[in-house]
Amino acid sequence: MSQFFGPLDSGGRVPPRQQTRVAAFLISAHGALARQFAFALPIRLETAWQTELNAQVYRETEIISLLLRATLWQPDLTLGYMAASWETAWFPTPIEGIPDRALALAAGLATLAHAVHASIRPASLLPVEANANDPFVTALRRIEFESSRLLQAQSLFLKGPELVPFRDAVSAALERRHAEIGKLWTEALEGVGITTSRA
Amino acid sequence: MPFLTLGSYRIRYELDGPANAPTYVLVNGLTQYAELWAAYRDALVARQFRVATFDLLGQGTSDKPALFINQDDHVAALGLLIGELGDGPVFLSGISFGGLIALRYAIAHGTRLSGLVPMSCFAELSPQLLLLGNAMRTGLILGGTSYLQDLLLPMNLSDQWLKPLLDKLDGVKRQGWLVNDVYALQNLMESFLDFEPLTPQLSSIGVPTMILNGEFDFLTPRALHETLRVNIPNSSLVIIPKAYHAFTLEKPALAADLLARFAEDVLASRWQGNKAVWIAPEEAGGALAPFPAGHDHLRAIPTQGTIP
Repeated sequence: MSQFFGPLDSGGRVPPRQQTRVAAFLISAHGALARQFAFALPIRLETAWQTELNAQVYRETEIISLLLRATLWQPDLTLGYMAASWETAWFPTPIEGIPDRALALAAGLATLAHAVHASIRPASLLPVEANANDPFVTALRRIEFESSRLLQAQSLFLKGPELVPFRDAVSAALERRHAEIGKLWTEALEGVGITTSRA
Repeated sequence: MPFLTLGSYRIRYELDGPANAPTYVLVNGLTQYAELWAAYRDALVARQFRVATFDLLGQGTSDKPALFINQDDHVAALGLLIGELGDGPVFLSGISFGGLIALRYAIAHGTRLSGLVPMSCFAELSPQLLLLGNAMRTGLILGGTSYLQDLLLPMNLSDQWLKPLLDKLDGVKRQGWLVNDVYALQNLMESFLDFEPLTPQLSSIGVPTMILNGEFDFLTPRALHETLRVNIPNSSLVIIPKAYHAFTLEKPALAADLLARFAEDVLASRWQGNKAVWIAPEEAGGALAPFPAGHDHLRAIPTQGTIP
């Protein structure tokens, strides 16, 4: 077990098995966000914050497109089972204790997006020796960088005035989401020989 | 790796040195982690101190609250750590943000301390510091941890330190980038959104206090340290020559020596604060010199003035 991808090949590339596992997890998570953001996006924008929602849909889609093209895929028989557990975890979960159903659902989606963008750091798995010109390496760096920017919309919303009355419920739901997604990420990595600080 | 429990969160800490010795507790700056005190551990343990270090909530291996971090939680975590140390003398020191947390602890629980060393510290947000903090937060949001490090390195370290590392800066930044998460750093920064100045409470700090300030500290300049010196009764200000905000990284041997000498003086009842202003030696072991009489220590050019 290592905290980083490896062993790298002579060209500084990440082993295809590890690429496949990480890309599959990220596509599942960001794909769920893209779908849920797209469902929440009205045909015609009604309020200013929905412009950010529009941006999020397309950035999530970009991440998926990038991974599909940058990854060296390899058959992974365990992916079927794992992907099923991942997809179950992304189900919309309204935050309990918020009586407005729409707000509770929106806040639940924000906790999922916050956890994915904040706690999944794929670029931190890259060893120093990783080839900076390799598409997969570049893709992971770009995804981590974009995630930290996408995260701001969730932070603003979850800390914003609409949710101040429900601060304890929101914080508790967010911590649960972080723990749940961190556990899935840790398990996905352990299967390909990578350990995280959470392990 | 031992952990303290603060509510539902875990705080990672480390104790080194003899258990029955006087203890130095060292508090990290905003983007730091406990391993950065390694040189201090070695130097202070060699001088027969025990050393306690820890990752603040939101840093390194400690838990990282997802949405909010309250500065009171850091003070509470510090209290838990000091509670682990028994009844012996405790000296508390912190750098920058960690210095602020140390000040807050000293205001609330000063009787537990034998001495206090705020370094590159502040008790209030001057307009410059407020705006710099806002700019750093924006930099973190737009450019990530790496961009924040790019801002802080040239702001807080000297050319002499940076020059030999110019082609190795990615390596210098890497561990900090690995262990610190954007959302957690942002939460730490946003704990200042409701910050109230500590200045009115500084006079309640009764313990011997040595304030350390780099000569060229740009982020927290002399005037912010002067607030501490003027308001903390048993204090003195020591200016570190040719040093910037992060002198604890750049001059660990000198800073650790100053910490040890301060504690030794306090324990031997030799310490006298007198709100004096001193100039530290350039190397560990050298003599401190009183700031020249008749000159204004708040100015960068020789200007006549008297120390009030």
